[in-house]
Amino acid sequence: MSVAVVLPELGESVTEGTIAKWLVKEGDRVEIDQPLVEVTTDKVDAEIPAPESGIVSQILAAEGETVPVGTAIAQIDPSGSAATAGSARPSAAPQQAPASADGPRATPAAVHAASDAGVDLGGVAGSGPSGRIMKSDVASAAAAPAASAAPAPSIPAAPVVASAPPASGSTHGFDEERARRLFSGYTLQEGDQVKPMSPLRKIVADHMVYSKRTAPHVGTVAEIDMGGIVAVRNQHKKAFKQDHGYSLTFLPFIVHAAVRALREFPQLNASVIEDAIVEKRVIHVGIAVETEKGLVVPVVRHADRLSLAGLAAAVEDLSARARNKKISADDLKGGTFTISNPGRNGNLYGFAIINQPQVGILRMGELVKRPVVRSAGGEDAIVIRPMMHLALSYDHRAVDGAPANGFLFRVRELLEEAEFDL
Amino acid sequence: MSSLLQIDWLGTVRYGEALDQQKSLVEDRKAGRSGDRLLLLEHPPVVTLGRSTRPENIRTPLDELQARGIDVHEVARGGDVTYHGRGQLVGYLVADLEARGAADVTAWLRGIEAGLIEALAGLGVASRRIEGMTGVYVDDPESDVPRKIASIGVGLRGWVSYHGFALNATMDLAEFADIVPCGLQGVEMTSVAKELGLASDALLFDRCRSAVEAAFASRFG
Repeated sequence: MSVAVVLPELGESVTEGTIAKWLVKEGDRVEIDQPLVEVTTDKVDAEIPAPESGIVSQILAAEGETVPVGTAIAQIDPSGSAATAGSARPSAAPQQAPASADGPRATPAAVHAASDAGVDLGGVAGSGPSGRIMKSDVASAAAAPAASAAPAPSIPAAPVVASAPPASGSTHGFDEERARRLFSGYTLQEGDQVKPMSPLRKIVADHMVYSKRTAPHVGTVAEIDMGGIVAVRNQHKKAFKQDHGYSLTFLPFIVHAAVRALREFPQLNASVIEDAIVEKRVIHVGIAVETEKGLVVPVVRHADRLSLAGLAAAVEDLSARARNKKISADDLKGGTFTISNPGRNGNLYGFAIINQPQVGILRMGELVKRPVVRSAGGEDAIVIRPMMHLALSYDHRAVDGAPANGFLFRVRELLEEAEFDL
Repeated sequence: MSSLLQIDWLGTVRYGEALDQQKSLVEDRKAGRSGDRLLLLEHPPVVTLGRSTRPENIRTPLDELQARGIDVHEVARGGDVTYHGRGQLVGYLVADLEARGAADVTAWLRGIEAGLIEALAGLGVASRRIEGMTGVYVDDPESDVPRKIASIGVGLRGWVSYHGFALNATMDLAEFADIVPCGLQGVEMTSVAKELGLASDALLFDRCRSAVEAAFASRFG
């Protein structure tokens, strides 16, 4: 008398399997639960164990053969008296946990959660396989005590688009109790608006906190007479717009000057990596751009190899793509220094947070006409000049005040000299 | 509260080492010495060849890959060729499906997909499954072809499952160029970083990791 080894029911809609490899051959002695054969189906590899101890008397399906579920693929002759004569039970899918007669089937976690929450499992609809009650079902039932327990869709059959995190167990949905805990002691007042952070906002927040915690930021500011740049720009802006289709802004001038100064002060074009300061040979400048969905910092690669017009084109391309959400992960890679241009409108100056793992970031202030003192022919005079503040934040772990100020004042010098070829 | 799923972060583990560890956990699980486990880790670059790998799905000769420091493993599993590398969050689930009340590997695959879809939603990435193509996909607004963000494959020893999923968190997608992942011609890979338009850095990888931990703890814990 022999026991059949059948291709077991592996799962819903799995109707057949392919014999990948026999781990035993005819005549081999096998122990119960010893792996006999490897069977593959789409995305699943199953090792089928022996249902009984005994001798493999016959192998009925060859390697490479695809057989339907339920097919006998081998026979085992049980040995001696230990054999359960005549039993031919499926091998890998033996006892399905029987539905108990005295109550609904539930996972241990669900039972535990139900007792914690005082939920009667009898009233909970199970969303698990075969109607088993899952912990999430108990949570839904506990959250909606009055309503009849609705089954939580845990394994939807059709393709689903998950555009929002599910309510239960979510860390993003707002609930008052959680907010109280987080706001530690703050009691929400009538009219307060609580806006949970979007996932993207949280990721940005991670970076800000990480940078501030990692790098001791020091700020230094220069006041720059942009008269020369304004003149160059006024001279070229009409023709430039005609030739290129976009406006020549101040940003490429700043990038151009910063890149040249970075070559003279490589301490600012660096990263702190463990216990070393790595000064980078390449200069890739990140340009912080505000977009609808938040701040992104696409990178102008090899900015030191570009002319002013080349920089203008690169900046225009990146900011247009950022606005149209066409920025790729590659565009964001590898920046070695960052320039932030937060726009005009009353922005005198401010210190940006360093974009890790870089060690410096330059932030542009508003360009405004201002009375300044100029000396001409031994006489001091108050004149009206277009002025801009540039604020440098640097990582004091890697950079000291002398090179930081040296860099910033070199940027100023280059901008005030205004020797640009267009 | 007791948990049905112990989740561990193992850091960077070579493929062969992680496979041995899974095999021993499968034995522990079968013998009742351990509960269900989720191992989260990253692999150094490795190409793994399943039993049904077709040669045309490997675009770069294997010896050239090895010369570039990429491990090559032939694995006793179904399916075609896959690639794992830095920035990919690999999750190996060793779980007794029968003890979970669902001796059904299809439901298990759908459950893993659902866990990943939930984790991605928590990161702000809308994703979905596709009938007949195990894995998790993201619709491309400019194309009819969705991009694949996570691959799934499991092994069964009796009713104890192992292997699991690989979520492209912050990985360099260009590294897939050497192969046709899972033999799916024409399906492009994507990553969380790419979908969010964010830099591929360690902070984002950590976010992906905690989103996956939260989703799997709530679904399977």
